[in-house]
Amino acid sequence: MKIKLYIITIGLFFSGCSDFLEIDPPYTQDAENFFERQEDYERALVGAYDLLQGSFLNIWIGEIASDNAIAGGESVTDTEGLHEIENMSHDAVNNELRSIWRWNYAGLTRANYILEFKDKIDFEGKDQIIAECQFLRAYYYFQLVKFFGDVPLILDKRLGAEEAKEIERTSKSEVYRQIESDLKAAAAVLPEVQVIKGKVTKGAARSLLGKVQLYQNKFDQAASTLDSVIQSSMYSLINDYSQLFSVANEGHSETVFDIEYSGLEGGSYGCFICLEGNVAPGFQGIRQYNGPVYGDGNSYNLPTQDLYDFFDANDPRKDATVLNLDEFISKQANPDQIEYAKGAGGHTGFYNNKYIKKQGEIGLPDNDLTSPVNYKVIRYADVLLMAAEAHNRKSSPNDAKALEYLNLVRTRVGMPSISSNGSNLTEDIWNERRSELSGEGLRFFDLVRTGKASTEIDNFVPGKHELFPIPQVEIDLAGGNWSQNPNY
Amino acid sequence: MHKTIPSVIAFLVFSTASFGQNKIQISGQVTDDENQAIIGVAVLETVSNSGAFTDENGNYVLDITSFRDSATIYFEMENFQTEKRVVYGTSILNVKLVNDVNKLNEVLVVGYGSASKKELTGATTQVGKENIEKLNIPRLDQALQGQVAGVNIGTNSGSPGGTSNIRIRGLSTFGDNDPLIVVDGVIYDSDGLNSLNPNDIESVNILKDATAGIYGVRAANGVILIETKKGRRNTKPQITLSSYFGTQQAVNQLDLLNATEYAVIKNEMFGTAGEQLPFPNAQLGEGTDWQKAVFSNASIQNHNISIQGGSKNTSYSLGGSYFLQNGIVGNEKANFERLNGRVNITTKLSERLRLNSIFLYTKETRNALPENGIGSVLYNTINAFPTAPIKTVEGRYSYLEEVNDIINPIAQMENTYNTSWVNKFVGKEEIAFDITKNLVFTNRLNYNVALLDGKVFSPLVWYGPGKYANNAANEDLDPVQVEIADGVQIDRGASVSESRTTYTDLNYEGFLNHKKNITPNQTLKSTLGWSVFKRRGENLSGTAFNIPNNSKDYADISANLASGGFLNNVSSYEFEERLVSVFLRTEYNREDRYLLSGILRRDGSSKFGPNNRFGLFPTLSAGWLLSEEPFFKSDVISFAKIRTSFGVSGNDQIENFAYRAQLNGEGVYVFDDIITIGTAIGRAANPDLKWETTRQFNIGADIILFNRLNTTVNYFVKNTFDLLFQPDVSGIIGSYGPGGYPPIINAGNVSNKGVELEMRYSTNSKRALKLNAAYNVTYLNNEVTETPQGVDFLPGASFGVGGNVATRFEKGFPIGYFHGYQTDGVFQTQEEIDNASVIQEGAKPGDFRFVDQDGDGQISFSDDSDKTMIGTPIPKVTMGFNFNLIFKGFDLSGNLYVALGHEIIRNYERQQPYANQLAYALDRWTGPNSTNDQARITTELNRNGVFSDFYVESGDFARLRNLQIGYTLPTKFTSKAAIQSMRVYLSANNLLTLTRYMGYDPDVSSGSALAVGIDNGFYPQAKTFMGGISIRL
Repeated sequence: MKIKLYIITIGLFFSGCSDFLEIDPPYTQDAENFFERQEDYERALVGAYDLLQGSFLNIWIGEIASDNAIAGGESVTDTEGLHEIENMSHDAVNNELRSIWRWNYAGLTRANYILEFKDKIDFEGKDQIIAECQFLRAYYYFQLVKFFGDVPLILDKRLGAEEAKEIERTSKSEVYRQIESDLKAAAAVLPEVQVIKGKVTKGAARSLLGKVQLYQNKFDQAASTLDSVIQSSMYSLINDYSQLFSVANEGHSETVFDIEYSGLEGGSYGCFICLEGNVAPGFQGIRQYNGPVYGDGNSYNLPTQDLYDFFDANDPRKDATVLNLDEFISKQANPDQIEYAKGAGGHTGFYNNKYIKKQGEIGLPDNDLTSPVNYKVIRYADVLLMAAEAHNRKSSPNDAKALEYLNLVRTRVGMPSISSNGSNLTEDIWNERRSELSGEGLRFFDLVRTGKASTEIDNFVPGKHELFPIPQVEIDLAGGNWSQNPNY
Repeated sequence: MHKTIPSVIAFLVFSTASFGQNKIQISGQVTDDENQAIIGVAVLETVSNSGAFTDENGNYVLDITSFRDSATIYFEMENFQTEKRVVYGTSILNVKLVNDVNKLNEVLVVGYGSASKKELTGATTQVGKENIEKLNIPRLDQALQGQVAGVNIGTNSGSPGGTSNIRIRGLSTFGDNDPLIVVDGVIYDSDGLNSLNPNDIESVNILKDATAGIYGVRAANGVILIETKKGRRNTKPQITLSSYFGTQQAVNQLDLLNATEYAVIKNEMFGTAGEQLPFPNAQLGEGTDWQKAVFSNASIQNHNISIQGGSKNTSYSLGGSYFLQNGIVGNEKANFERLNGRVNITTKLSERLRLNSIFLYTKETRNALPENGIGSVLYNTINAFPTAPIKTVEGRYSYLEEVNDIINPIAQMENTYNTSWVNKFVGKEEIAFDITKNLVFTNRLNYNVALLDGKVFSPLVWYGPGKYANNAANEDLDPVQVEIADGVQIDRGASVSESRTTYTDLNYEGFLNHKKNITPNQTLKSTLGWSVFKRRGENLSGTAFNIPNNSKDYADISANLASGGFLNNVSSYEFEERLVSVFLRTEYNREDRYLLSGILRRDGSSKFGPNNRFGLFPTLSAGWLLSEEPFFKSDVISFAKIRTSFGVSGNDQIENFAYRAQLNGEGVYVFDDIITIGTAIGRAANPDLKWETTRQFNIGADIILFNRLNTTVNYFVKNTFDLLFQPDVSGIIGSYGPGGYPPIINAGNVSNKGVELEMRYSTNSKRALKLNAAYNVTYLNNEVTETPQGVDFLPGASFGVGGNVATRFEKGFPIGYFHGYQTDGVFQTQEEIDNASVIQEGAKPGDFRFVDQDGDGQISFSDDSDKTMIGTPIPKVTMGFNFNLIFKGFDLSGNLYVALGHEIIRNYERQQPYANQLAYALDRWTGPNSTNDQARITTELNRNGVFSDFYVESGDFARLRNLQIGYTLPTKFTSKAAIQSMRVYLSANNLLTLTRYMGYDPDVSSGSALAVGIDNGFYPQAKTFMGGISIRL
């Protein structure tokens, strides 16, 4: 009896009830048994596009780091990272830079996840899905090299937690090589026109490739790449510069690559990357504004007097780019009744008039977060100006071509043609870039790329501020073996 | 309090006599150790179920009809040890009962069995019903605050139906720190504690040390065993009625600026920055007192009825109650209503078979307002400025346009409709079979079914231009137009969201309890059992728009008029988890002096993957009853026991399926202007995930001095290893997309060490003036001893708006300690700034001077190098003091709680130019040598708002949680009305709080380990005055 009891006891202790514990999560697919059907690829691709929506940070940092804008906001501790970037006092603890790091890696991981299983099944249209993945991966890597220089290059696989502690940073040039190769492969497959609005096209891939080449000062290659976009005749400048960014005008002929947002899903502050709306317009809106045309916002990313004064007085892009608020109010019907507040994070009197909350373009609550305004990452004017620069700076310059492209951009806004050449023309093109593209997140990277950052940006330290620091915590989490970017 | 054998004053039902039996009559007198007669002693003979009571002279007569010659007679009386005598035939039996004020023979439930206090080897504390019921505190866990050493109760919200959290021996993990709660053997969820009616509770036993390990993988945070009231066999129905009514009010109001002060301060704020003065005329009087408008007196009431008793084979206890509490903020908009029904029945199905059936039903209704944070009613109240009226002359609510994100709190309360309902069914059916006299086999099926419903109605509202909470297009409450396709606009009107969640726990348990006397002096008690547990959860939620007439009367999804249902949406989820366990416990007792106990439990949990699904949890404990030794002779020490225990327990409270990679991330993008849903990687997999392990050592002693002063002291070391949490991982893994999370891993260690002291004193029960008093004190040291590799710290909650992280989980510090800048006075002059040895960029006279922690000669605002520890949310010392004085019919009792050595972050001040401020702003820096404590006030750019010790306050407080005076009417009056006893009382809760903390309530906590001690505009507990009556029939 006793012995039996012991046996039962021991048996009870070590008998497995494993089957009972073996349960599967109800109604969900596992990461390993996916990619069984075409739809699986399509759905995973949507997920890879999703991270594009974090690019609103590019508008902020690209402007605030430059001479174009200050951080603004409710106080100097409100999104402190942007204030530090404004003052060039940023260091390796910076939430905004960390978001850039995390979100772009999340995006390319999702693209890599599809590419990892690219050979699992075959179906018609798979090539295009793969091409879109390559484009997206290239875009995310380009963001990373722009901000951080050398970054770990992970291709066609998901990284395990242990692997992540051993991986090294890959040199910038190698990352660029991969970006170019992805974009070339994508451009070869992607159609000129996508039936579905929001999908990337051949023109987008080529334009991004041209930009990537320009950023590496590969002017000959950039010129020919960008020429192919221009020669495709898929794009043209629209007449009314002030309507470039309106929701009503979305998808116009100047759109080469834009990131799509929607105002139909509400949002909260907990997770910006979860939003379907564009954060930038609401945040760049006028604080506690109560009046016509605009909506109220959080007074972020405020243009500087320097930018406002830069424009030719007759240039319609001046007011289309920078909203001079007091002047605007004084022209309204009942200016006394229009109110707004200055944020304690800084006030210039100017607002970003391209990405700003406007009545009629307001999403669901909290509408500071849910703007339906798309972010135009590359528009045709940029392509023309990049092509102009490439022709002007290539080994055997073609200034005539450069002038042709430059003046197309100027003529559109009624500005007189330019007829300079050589390095004067280079300067003119760079100035034109500021007039044409300010407020769109390009300025800081243009200044760095052209070597003008230290003369234009206060407190900019050459040899340091060309790159942002890799967030220290990301260095630690990756095993602590990477050296920080120089001088941080 | 449990007794092995019933001991309550009761009348007995005599069994009928039958043929051929012996009739025996026993009579005598029962006295105490001072030869005083004891009245009301129950004299029982169990075989024939005969019984009698002693009269006013202590005399009794008991008639027994028995087949046998002998009979065993029990003499039972509260506060006395039960005496057992064997009689042979009719006789006179005088008995002397030994006073047992120390309740050493009291039986405690210890999980799958019971043990007398004397033979316990673990650190267990019992709280009896007398210490719960009387406090009139709506929620059981709140009622436990300050009653048990080593158990800290923090309040998550003081609103009606708000929750608390129970922390036994400190915070030991990053994630779920809730103890396992078991009600009558049924696993209960700590969130569901609101459902329990404190009046239904007989006792609460708290297993604090490793002996909780009988519950294995879920015992690491301690175990709380709650027993509901049971009836006694052979007792006449006893009906208890009790009721109280009360009124609640705010304990305090914040000292905020009035209109004139506000105008002066704001003028200075703008003036110093060279801006136009907002209030050219600052003489604006008192202005609006928003707090006065928001707080109101609110009612509270509670009614209970219970019936208990038993027949020859069945005992029962039935209870019903109704409770209603309105909120001091929001009144009916923030209230809680609870209806309880309870049926406990124990029946002898045969001589050897017993059925225990327990059924608890609760229906709760709760209305809630937004609480504790930006957007909450109190946050808005504090920051609304006094120069704005509540309503404008046109009769609409003022818009408070000058402040962003702050809305009119009165309008907000009016527009909030947030109701939730809970229907909860908890119970068990248990069959106990006496295989032999010493071997009992118990089988039971436990269930816990909760239906949670919620409904939120969001009418179209307009709080003013640009307010985040607006969902109308304009002041006229026109709906927002939404473009659902090119050129197609539809209205987006008022909406209603409804949800239903069903949780079903089913649990089968079987166990054998065996007791054996190896020799006359040695006994061995063993328990062998097994348990199979399954929990399912199902949720369905939906939101529908365009509720007609913008009216709550139509606030149901069925009434929606959304065109084509375009905006409406639904969602759902399901989950399931399982647990399989086997456990063994052996207790050895030699001569009632040497006690040894061992526990072994093996658990398999579906929370973990096949690699680590099963865990083994052993515990050993021992006790030595020093005072039972022959050599021990002392007039001072009446009882002494030394105990120690060591064991391992676990914690598996993480999300289900965290061990495997799922595609539950969010992959959503906009194609063709339509929000298109795709698929994305969710949480990364960790197939090696396992439970976290707590190793706990306890050494303690129970000592009774002068047979009156009961003292328990414990020292414990509780180390938790392999913490389950989700630290940051490298971004390059790609886990930080929407809906993606890093994997949950086992990493990091936490240590809790502490000393607990509990003392209880009772006067002799016969004295006219009776005093029961209890005091307990806990010293606790909490420290993170290891963080995951590569992770210096885990960031917690943030300070202010868009502000940096203010709390951390970091090695060498308590969990959730505060991390920020340390101030060192205020720069008085520019000269001082220029000559300072430390460069503080941007500093101007009147700005805080921060301390250069890393000694590099400058204050760094762009990294953490100059931040340091500036507070901890975990009290070092907590104390409780309870007393009860009885004189004649009068009684006076009180309950005091003290928490010391912790801090609170004041995080309810919106740092916006026009937001109202606390009156301390009047003492701001205004010029050289004006003050060294506060910075200047200006809209100029400055760093005074960064998270520093200026925003951290001492959280020390002492609170008189209950003070009550009662009068029990003399029996000679009440007995005429057939009333056994009747007591009336006046009672006050939270009558007095001593604290220097500026906020509403220093008892501020959070269920999240890294957000404890952050006051975001906390809904305070109320001060309550009650009058009540309780009647026993």
